[in-house]
Amino acid sequence: MKSFRYYILLLPALLLSMSVVLIPGLLTAYISFTDWNGVSPQINWIGLGNFRAIFADNVFWKALGNNIRWTILFVTVPVFIGMLSAVLLLGRRINATLYQLIYLFPYVLAPITNALLWLNIIFNPLTGVIGFLRKIGLNVPAPLGNINTALYAVAAVDIWHYWGFLTVVYLASLRQTPMDQVEAAQAEGANGWQVFRYVYFPSILPTVLLMYVMIIIFSFLTFDYVYLLTGGGPAHATEMLSTYAYTLGFSTFQVGRASAVGLVMSMFGLIAAAFYTWLSRREITE
Amino acid sequence: MQRFKHLRHSLWFVTLLLLGVTALSACAAAPDAASPSGSADAGGGERQTVTMWFWGAPPEHQETMKAVLVDPYNASQSEYELVVEFRNTVDKDISVALAAGEGPDIVYGSGPSFVAPYATAGKLENMDACSAANGWQDRILQPIYESGTVNGSLYSLPNSLNTLGIFYNKAVLEENGWTPPTTIEELEAIMDEAMAQGMYASVTGNKGWKPVNENYASLFLTHAAGPQAVHDALTGELAWTSPEIQAAVEKSAEWYQKGYLAGEDYVNLNFNDAVQLLADGRSPFFIGPTLVFQFATQFFQGEDAANLGFIPFPNVNEELAYPLYTLGTTASLSINANSDVKDAACAIIDRMMTDQFLVDMTARWPGYWGVPVKEINVDSSQLTGLSAEYLSAIADIMAAINSGNFGYFTATFFPPATQQEFINIDTVWLGTESASDMLERVETVFTEELNANLVPPIPAPAQ
Repeated sequence: MKSFRYYILLLPALLLSMSVVLIPGLLTAYISFTDWNGVSPQINWIGLGNFRAIFADNVFWKALGNNIRWTILFVTVPVFIGMLSAVLLLGRRINATLYQLIYLFPYVLAPITNALLWLNIIFNPLTGVIGFLRKIGLNVPAPLGNINTALYAVAAVDIWHYWGFLTVVYLASLRQTPMDQVEAAQAEGANGWQVFRYVYFPSILPTVLLMYVMIIIFSFLTFDYVYLLTGGGPAHATEMLSTYAYTLGFSTFQVGRASAVGLVMSMFGLIAAAFYTWLSRREITE
Repeated sequence: MQRFKHLRHSLWFVTLLLLGVTALSACAAAPDAASPSGSADAGGGERQTVTMWFWGAPPEHQETMKAVLVDPYNASQSEYELVVEFRNTVDKDISVALAAGEGPDIVYGSGPSFVAPYATAGKLENMDACSAANGWQDRILQPIYESGTVNGSLYSLPNSLNTLGIFYNKAVLEENGWTPPTTIEELEAIMDEAMAQGMYASVTGNKGWKPVNENYASLFLTHAAGPQAVHDALTGELAWTSPEIQAAVEKSAEWYQKGYLAGEDYVNLNFNDAVQLLADGRSPFFIGPTLVFQFATQFFQGEDAANLGFIPFPNVNEELAYPLYTLGTTASLSINANSDVKDAACAIIDRMMTDQFLVDMTARWPGYWGVPVKEINVDSSQLTGLSAEYLSAIADIMAAINSGNFGYFTATFFPPATQQEFINIDTVWLGTESASDMLERVETVFTEELNANLVPPIPAPAQ
């Protein structure tokens, strides 16, 4: 009877989860094995045809490679900046909240606002920083126009918007570290690096790992900044699995193929989530 | 305790500020409606609402649409009320709504290649009866009318003709002793000189809208490969890998690599930026679609309006007729199969398919309302400046279409996946693949679409 009551209490969350996650997820999996164009009532089962088509397409592999590069960038650069600024803020007694607000500011703005800011204030050859540098005689290339730099230019905008969020999360976690441990380490003569390495870092490790998993999941789903800044160009230099799927779904009416790409994207997220679950369970048992 | 209190105040302050910022940025996404109330009841009582979604035009253009279309229609009868919603994401919104069996009564689309899948799926209404009742077949340019048919029945009509040509700054050409070019050699010579002087050869760019690439794919297909070759490829009689089509793609790549398309700034400029550069005299040319006239109104104002000229693009292949225009349309108008007010939607589209509507809209919104009628029989003498220049360009295009001297805009006549391959033409421009590799893929994709009956009707050009 008691367990029945628990199930009843679980029901609202379960229904919500099924309607917005499970059912669309199952439908996407089904559609990925069909030739559905997104509008036609006729849906034909084509087996692995969509997967064969995307695996034979160079653009798919280019997009997958870009997603992996993107993930590597995001698990290093913003994590380093976020951690460094959190540690620096930890020592500040005054204005730490103000700094957090400033760092978090780009994160709360809509992606379209941030993208337009960068397009018009930084990259614009007429009114932006690029235009200004050219006016004073510096021959500055266009970062978004070069296939070798476009991905890093887009990532720079997304990192600029994201690292402040990591700072706030890391700082909140650092503040949970028991002060007696910190003071004991300092009393034993540990320097700043040693206090961080042997006291703070083990304390915030679960948060760091969680953020790593979230970053990996988001990196394989990334869409907004790429779509807004380059649309996946030039010459697929910034193409991601998400922009590739979007083009297939909304521009060429190949919703079956787009679903197949979506499944591949989900697989990477699933691996990251499974890894995190395994890690959490190991932590509990230990 | 004091410290905790301070922290709590700070957190409140941060939370409130962030909420404020978020709310402000959310305001930017709200769609506008041309109807003052955005509702069917605005002064209409029992009226039924007829809805139309349109792209997020600037406020002054929204006002024009209200004054020329919405208010006169609503005043002309008492049964219906037309409500136009301007949406920045109209293409995606329409796709999602139609797929769900919903959406506006009048369906805005991106052209025949957009219409075919929805018509086949039964999402759009057959407009044959509406056409017969209003005599559209006699009024509308034949190739354009045909392009809106699917399996012989009409499913859409475009709101406007759209072609590609050269906008030029008359003052810049005069200052440098250049005359408007009529051959490709003259054009390239001027662009080389301009670049040598530190100017852009021409200005354009795909910032914010990658499909701008297809303007230049279409341009070189028309003026280098020629209309007949493209027609034959679109009807399956010629392979896309044929030498004339490959030469056209390679010519476009040569232009990009020489910096003729704004150089590396191509991805950093949109049409507004490009027209501003043209108006500032930093480039002699802007090579692009006639819909750019609507952006030019912001930069070529007053006496400066006389500085903007428009000429046809010269042929790369000298054997082709001149002037030759790439035939395209800006958008398509259809009727939702699930609409309860189909007759009213038909009547509204009919109001938009007249030479009077063309002139009235062009007077205040040049560049987007070149209604595809066979001829203009109403008085247009009141038009001045850019409106007159645009009307003159449209009249030239109508004459060229009537003579059969037209090529094919990819967005209008190519099936969706093939069109996407030409949008990705920048892979050839930037050297990540060869023209032959790209066209082999086009051939494969096109053959699939041809077999699936996704190619719209292709009007034949003049022999």
